[in-house]
Amino acid sequence: MENKKLVVLDDISKYFKVSEGTLKAVEQVSLDIMKGETLGLVGESGCGKSTLGKVVMGIYQPTHGQLTYHGKESIHLNKKTLFSYSKMAQIIFQDPYSSLDPRMTVGSIIEEGMIIHKMYDKKRRQERVYELLELVGLNKEHANRFPHEFSGGQRQRIGIARALAIEPEFIVCDEPISALDVSIQSQIINLLHDLQKEFNLTYLFIAHDLNIVKYISDRIAVMYLGNIVELAASGELYANTLHPYSKALLSAVPVPDPDKEAKKVRQILSGDVPSPINIPKGCNFAGRCPQVCDICTKEKPFLREITTGHFVSCHMVK
Amino acid sequence: MNKILQIKDLRVSFDTYAGEVKAVRGISFDIHEGEVLAIVGESGCGKSVTAQTIMKLNPMPPARIAHGDILLGEHDIVRASEKEMMKIRGKEVSMIFQDPMTCLNPTMQVGKQLTEAIRHHQKLSKEEANKEAIRLLETVNIPNAKQRARQYPHEFSGGMRQRVMIAMALSSSPKLLIADEPTTALDVTIQAQIMDLLLEIKQKTNTAIILITHDLGVVASVADRVAVMYAGKIVETGTAKNIFYHPSHPYTRALLKSLPDTDMDRSIRLVSIPGTPPDLLNPPAGCGFASRCSNCMKICQTDLPPEFIIDGGHVAACWLHYENCPAELEGVKN
Repeated sequence: MENKKLVVLDDISKYFKVSEGTLKAVEQVSLDIMKGETLGLVGESGCGKSTLGKVVMGIYQPTHGQLTYHGKESIHLNKKTLFSYSKMAQIIFQDPYSSLDPRMTVGSIIEEGMIIHKMYDKKRRQERVYELLELVGLNKEHANRFPHEFSGGQRQRIGIARALAIEPEFIVCDEPISALDVSIQSQIINLLHDLQKEFNLTYLFIAHDLNIVKYISDRIAVMYLGNIVELAASGELYANTLHPYSKALLSAVPVPDPDKEAKKVRQILSGDVPSPINIPKGCNFAGRCPQVCDICTKEKPFLREITTGHFVSCHMVK
Repeated sequence: MNKILQIKDLRVSFDTYAGEVKAVRGISFDIHEGEVLAIVGESGCGKSVTAQTIMKLNPMPPARIAHGDILLGEHDIVRASEKEMMKIRGKEVSMIFQDPMTCLNPTMQVGKQLTEAIRHHQKLSKEEANKEAIRLLETVNIPNAKQRARQYPHEFSGGMRQRVMIAMALSSSPKLLIADEPTTALDVTIQAQIMDLLLEIKQKTNTAIILITHDLGVVASVADRVAVMYAGKIVETGTAKNIFYHPSHPYTRALLKSLPDTDMDRSIRLVSIPGTPPDLLNPPAGCGFASRCSNCMKICQTDLPPEFIIDGGHVAACWLHYENCPAELEGVKN
């Protein structure tokens, strides 16, 4: 990991207009993604992690704030800036069944990005397709087949080959393994890891499986209801959890070890995640927080650096 | 402890255009009062088919019980008629499903759906059934149960809907509850709530629970005994401690190693199992795991391994435990 900022999110918010009001999916998120790192993004469904992923990809235009890379201008300035950003950033989707066009051959799926970005001539592109297929553990003959002929794990490999085709620097992995079986998950994780080393890739790894995130990430950001509540190096986050939501989230994850499970004091949160429409003022987590105080319902906490590189947004953490 | 359910050499097949798919290929297990048995395995290994067959919920045809016995108390499930099954389902055994979003009727008030289940098995007046429904909603920790009973499923969150499903499943105090991936569709904090509730119910009512899941973490937190399924067969059974601390089948071992440990460094590679599970249309002659197994021997490809007793209730179906197994392989046994 080099100490160079690759993608910078500056005060990004993404709101959606719905009939009941405004849905604040992502609110005032500022984040630096460093070159060569894996940044894990965790949170429960509806916390805005996938929306943030799509904003980072340039698929959604943020309501406020701007996204820059390599210190250039905002990618949302015009179509040209967005297009050149898409040469640099790619995404791997969660569902390997719906993210591949069933009417295209695997070869043309992988080639498409290179055509759009006018890379190489036809012959070289064909070679690249074969190279990429082999790189992700498939073989040449697969290029003429259709997605339905592959298993879930194989399709995810095709999705990875497609993302790599245009030689991006940055890949958003939006829950790339949650649709796969346990024995296949580790194959994909190992593949992603090898590719990162080989091409010096930067990952934004979105997931809800905290054990996997901890394993793969250098830093982890925990999201709750559109906000990042805690951000720290992955070892630090687990060893020294500060935000009450992160604590509950980490203690809720069962580990495959019966003795540890029997000893574990589980902090069970009552209730559900509230609706992101018309969020009350104050801390978003106040309604479920076991340490809630007066100030929490009145003032919204902001992300503060507690120790070097460890950021928390909570009034109660000193 | 009383045996609630006994399954003996159960084989379930599906007749499809392509041929006979042998989804369950001879499994035997039993479950006692107040016990949590977890059945783990990957998708397509036959765990859900097993669960559905216990309640005869899979449509027959195409499904067919090719062989075996299922004894639930004094009921012989395999030979029971649909009419008898109507009485058994819900009363003796009930089930909660993976997706609480699709299992409730969206056009019916939640309370009404509950009273329907209650009045099917118990002779109660509408009013009494209503009271019972509210009491059930309270036992599964739904706040304001009285008002909530008049609401429709879309007004409930995923975790709440799963609670309603559990309330419905418990309405006639069944002896056995089958939970088919009850928390897969839920978030981790909600998953913890639901697993807690299931354990609380088990302690209060002594109901036996069959938990079907692929999440080994969940298994470690609640199961008393574990059965690991692969390609339609149970490859290993034992107490949770047997399975997690002394896995004796190469598949179980590989499965456990493929999960990152909580304090594992990224420099250590995850163990991955190469290949994919076999096609059950033409199941292999020998061990189903042979083609992916790192300890595969000649016999594994030709002969089905019998069950070898490791110690007490810990059983593994793997040739490595055969007494004449070469000594140099001893090392990989445990």
